[in-house]
Amino acid sequence: MTDWISIPLVAFPLIASMVLLAFVSNGNDRMRQRLVGPIRMACLIFSLVMLTITTGMFFQYFGDVSWMNIAFNDYEYRTTYTWIETLGINWSVGLDALSFPMVWLTTFLLPVTIIATWNEKSGATYFPLLLMMGGALIGVFVSLDLFMFYVFWELTLIPMFFLILKWGGKDRKYASQKFFIYTFTASVIMLLGLITLYFLQDPYSLPSAGTMTGRSFSIPELIDSARAGNVGDSWYLGAQMQKILFVMLMIGFLVKLPAVPFHTWLPDAHVQAPTGGSMLLAGVMLKMGAYGMFRLPISLFPHALYHFQLALMIIGMVSLVWGAIVCLGQTNLKKMVAYSSVSHMGVILIGIATMQPMGWAAALFMMFAHGIISPMLFAVCGAFKHHYHSMEIGAMRGMAKHSPWLATSMMFAWMASLGLPLLAGFVAEIMMLIALWHMISLDGWSIWWMVGPALVLALTAAYYLWSMQRTIFEGGEAGQPPENMIGKPIPDISDSEKFAMLIMAFFTILFGIMPWIGLDMMDDWTKQIFEGLIVFVGKGGA
Amino acid sequence: MSTVSNVEPFKDGFIEALCPELILFAGLILLIIVPNLGKGTVRIPGTQKRVMWLLGGDRFKLTSNPRLPAWIATVTLGAAFVQTILSFQDGVDRTAIVTASGKQLMLVNGFSRVFELIFFGALTLAAFASMNRLEVRGVGPKLSTDDLYNNRRQADFYILMLTCGLGMSVVALAQDLFVLFIGLELASFSTYVLVAFYKETEAGTEAGMKYFIVGSVASGVGLYGLSMLYLWAGSLQFDALASQFIINGTDPLPLIAMGFVIVGFGFKVSAAPFHFAAPDAYAGASSPIAGILATASKAMGIIGLLRMLLIVAAPEASEDGTVWLTLLGVLALVTMTWGNIAALGSTNPKRMLAYSSVAHAGYMLAAITAIGAWNWDDSLAGDGGESAVAVLTALIFHLVVLVAFKLGAFLVLSILESDGDASRLSSLGGLAKREPFLAVAMFIFMISLAGVPPLAGFVSKLLVIMGIVKVAVGQMGAEIMAGGDFGLGDVHWVWWLAFAMVINSAISMYYYLRIGIVMFFDEAEEGRTGPLPRGWQVRFAVLACLMATLFMGVASDKLLEICEVAAQSLNYGWN
Repeated sequence: MTDWISIPLVAFPLIASMVLLAFVSNGNDRMRQRLVGPIRMACLIFSLVMLTITTGMFFQYFGDVSWMNIAFNDYEYRTTYTWIETLGINWSVGLDALSFPMVWLTTFLLPVTIIATWNEKSGATYFPLLLMMGGALIGVFVSLDLFMFYVFWELTLIPMFFLILKWGGKDRKYASQKFFIYTFTASVIMLLGLITLYFLQDPYSLPSAGTMTGRSFSIPELIDSARAGNVGDSWYLGAQMQKILFVMLMIGFLVKLPAVPFHTWLPDAHVQAPTGGSMLLAGVMLKMGAYGMFRLPISLFPHALYHFQLALMIIGMVSLVWGAIVCLGQTNLKKMVAYSSVSHMGVILIGIATMQPMGWAAALFMMFAHGIISPMLFAVCGAFKHHYHSMEIGAMRGMAKHSPWLATSMMFAWMASLGLPLLAGFVAEIMMLIALWHMISLDGWSIWWMVGPALVLALTAAYYLWSMQRTIFEGGEAGQPPENMIGKPIPDISDSEKFAMLIMAFFTILFGIMPWIGLDMMDDWTKQIFEGLIVFVGKGGA
Repeated sequence: MSTVSNVEPFKDGFIEALCPELILFAGLILLIIVPNLGKGTVRIPGTQKRVMWLLGGDRFKLTSNPRLPAWIATVTLGAAFVQTILSFQDGVDRTAIVTASGKQLMLVNGFSRVFELIFFGALTLAAFASMNRLEVRGVGPKLSTDDLYNNRRQADFYILMLTCGLGMSVVALAQDLFVLFIGLELASFSTYVLVAFYKETEAGTEAGMKYFIVGSVASGVGLYGLSMLYLWAGSLQFDALASQFIINGTDPLPLIAMGFVIVGFGFKVSAAPFHFAAPDAYAGASSPIAGILATASKAMGIIGLLRMLLIVAAPEASEDGTVWLTLLGVLALVTMTWGNIAALGSTNPKRMLAYSSVAHAGYMLAAITAIGAWNWDDSLAGDGGESAVAVLTALIFHLVVLVAFKLGAFLVLSILESDGDASRLSSLGGLAKREPFLAVAMFIFMISLAGVPPLAGFVSKLLVIMGIVKVAVGQMGAEIMAGGDFGLGDVHWVWWLAFAMVINSAISMYYYLRIGIVMFFDEAEEGRTGPLPRGWQVRFAVLACLMATLFMGVASDKLLEICEVAAQSLNYGWN
């Protein structure tokens, strides 16, 4: 029996972190100082247990799960308990090829983040908040109930709000409020869309319908009825309603992703957030947007997806190009990395908009690869800030001379992010390009759509190489330390940071050389979800 | 549903039916008598003999204790609360209090019971918390006259609390315009005085005066409307009025009367544009009383609106819904937007909570609008009032859980008020360092007000939005499954009220979050860094509110069922 998975992965981290926070916040400063060590260790051990469990799930220690052959809308470790019967709300969890990589990624990043930011100040509240964040994020990915999904979706905001607010930089108040309000606004619009979707069911037709409302929040049941409704000439919910709901849901997901023009919260949040917050924010939280797109609008509203294909493609292209151009102009290292995330999220959107199984698999793999690479980028930025008290590109030169470890990590992360072959990011990007070619040659799109990605390949290389040149190299024989550190010994990164960098680098290489470990199940899944649409796309859509 | 059993006053079954109110009444008498018990004697006329008669004179040690009235009031209200909860255990019976000629005066059913729960719950917490608010100047016989007078205020304060509770529960029970108005005024007058009771500040007296003047004008206008209804229908009974409305509800007279009535109750729920006195009253009153205004008093206004709009005026429902639909929809939109915009700019936490209360009134009016619209299209409706019950359930649930987080927020401010004042945002500064528990509780109340899951405020807001959407969408789901192609144009316009609610929640996030930031990350004001005033009662009340906010967020099933029963028992218009 495997119906216990939601306990160690979701319930325990949330409850344990809340208990720890309540306990710690009622004590005095001395007690908090004393407890940093034990609490940090407990959080680390617990996150390692979670990582062990998810890794064990992948290697089939818990139940005989064939990850390569999960049918679309079929879920492993499926568990359902009644929560609010009158409204048809269940505590329903399950994993498939879409959610499992994300869950594994979250459990992987938690211990890495804890190790990378081992010496963060006020650790007694910081580490429980990271744990809480992890629990809420996993909750988003495993939930198979719209209500539960939304609850966890919003719950992730609270620890992140506090992480930015308490450990953030100078403008942290502005950034945390902007982050919270921006994403909250988008997700309440999404909520209205979800509720409208909820009431657009045939009353009492689905198995888990509520006793009072006659409607069901169950995602698998909704997808089933959508697939049943999308056959032949008929469309689930009708063409007009699909488009309306698609737009409402996509507002929530596009802001979270974020896509231009809804991206302005991201640079502020990232620049102000502490390293650990940035790592989880870029690594997993942004992927919630892409995950949501696949889980709901794409699975439910293929007609609307086809209708808005061009719009998605344009938003994706603009995000890709705009993000890259803005990166060129940045002097702040962290802001540059943040805008590069916007650019990479554009790749995901383009992958979706190609309407090719390979493009979708590219999007899924980009979610995963970017989830490993971008935390490393932010870990580098964090170490930079931590040791040199500056984030300006060019504040110091010749870093390779006096901080070889940091220089190497930076170089590796930058290379991984610009898509060097044999590293994880390359696989996703090349797949996206192939899918785009497919789209152009098969569906008769203009060849000019290739210009954007081609341009961005050059731009990305340009801003990464340029920033490397100005920080790692130059500066003469002895390098040129930042002004505030002239005369002092310049430290390299700490051992815990080195260790975290090595782990992330290892997995970047691993998934770059052997992408099939994750890619196979993603590929299979996208082919299956696509089979449901092929009839529909074949008849020309709208 | 069980039939109504009729009971005449003071006959069999009367005590069972009105048990909570009778408990309050007994407590009221105790409160008047007990603090006066003493060694007083009276001379038997014609003789020189004096006998002990226990009233007046030097008080006994126990009865002179200035804390005694507070305990009596708390225990009384608590007992009434517990009694109300117990009455849910084996299903609420429906009992009507009738006159000898068979006219219904009051009706005890699920609906009235739930509202009694709200009133008594809020008042119990407020009375308990007020123990730390009203200044007590020593105990014992050696006090100066001034101090004795000051201690005497204790009894007055709690007597007013009990009369307030009594009036409110009469409003919940009323089946007759006259009884309704009596209850309304009893509660209103108590709250006017309670607001002015905060005489330590000038703002308190001023607020009481303002609240009294505006409130009496609103009551007067409402009463005028009620009298016009009487003129038109010749009866004060709700059911008689309702049947009149079915026959000739489009007469101008009842419509004008309904307009006046909406003004009267609109003031009580602080709906725009009748809300102007509310921020002043909330800011001037001591915080527990402001909490009562924002929860129990508002619930009372909502009952009035529900009774008048849904029972009296709803049978008129036609294809487009009831006659007042557009008016109320506009009111709802204006109220929620105005409240939120005004709250954005207010730097006094109590004024901010007052404006947030205005915004919540807007959400509730939106829900009532949706109830009026449920029967809007014959081809798509036909769910036998199911949607109306859903919205009403949501509305009642919202009122119940509002007690937890709104009152809780005011109670936290109450502690700060006894520390000095709570009229500036900066007075919340450094709260997380001074007393982390209060800061965390306040933050949870704030995000619950904003509607962040998994707290009670989220569930209630979700339910209201769900109810409105359900009405707006009607049976469209089934129609679509049968092959229909509908767009937003086919959805009833109340859907846009849900949209407005959603946007307004997002706006409100800003000022709720601001409180959290000030508490956690701003330094305390000059000279206010020390520990806060002691007092376990108010902290206990805050803890109770916090527990309820958390619990109702994740385990709302039981309360939902109770609210559904309540909603079903208000079923004049739709079956």
